[in-house]
Amino acid sequence: NPIVLDLAYNSIEFPSLENRM
Amino acid sequence: GIEDLFTSLNRHIQRSEYEQAVKVSDQILSIAPGDEDAIRCKTVALIKGDSIDEALSFIREASRKFPIDFSFLKAYCLYRLNKLDEALGSLKGNEANPATMLLESQILFRLGKMDASVEIYQKLQKSKIDSLEINVVAGLVSAGRASE
Ligand SMILES: [K+]
Repeated sequence: NPIVLDLAYNSIEFPSLENRM
Repeated sequence: GIEDLFTSLNRHIQRSEYEQAVKVSDQILSIAPGDEDAIRCKTVALIKGDSIDEALSFIREASRKFPIDFSFLKAYCLYRLNKLDEALGSLKGNEANPATMLLESQILFRLGKMDASVEIYQKLQKSKIDSLEINVVAGLVSAGRASE
């Protein structure tokens, strides 16, 4: 079977904590 | 205080120390149980640390208590656990953006709906996503459209 990359994983990001520190 | 904890959390995230990020998120949540940033950080850290079952349990628990929209992250966990119809259901109602479209396309691929999967990738091609063409080719080959 052809390889499918989990590109959705790469698109999961942490929220910005810029204003919390 | 909570700001120092967020500074520490941010440092762990930058260093991809996901177990530590979960621990510090828990420390923040013991002080501020409904803090959305901490809840999201813990969820994402569990996912990035490959604790998908735990991430899904945490999402379910937090969704009962707090009005936070976890549907994309929940859909991703369900996809990883191969609960594909549930995953699609959780994606419904999310605005179409590259992240939701990539996930939908991957779910459709696993469901064997190759044409629908490829169609989403074709919409994404102007978004310049790294390695997208690898999945486009996989979809086309599986759909018997290798000549494209
Ligand atoms: K997020």
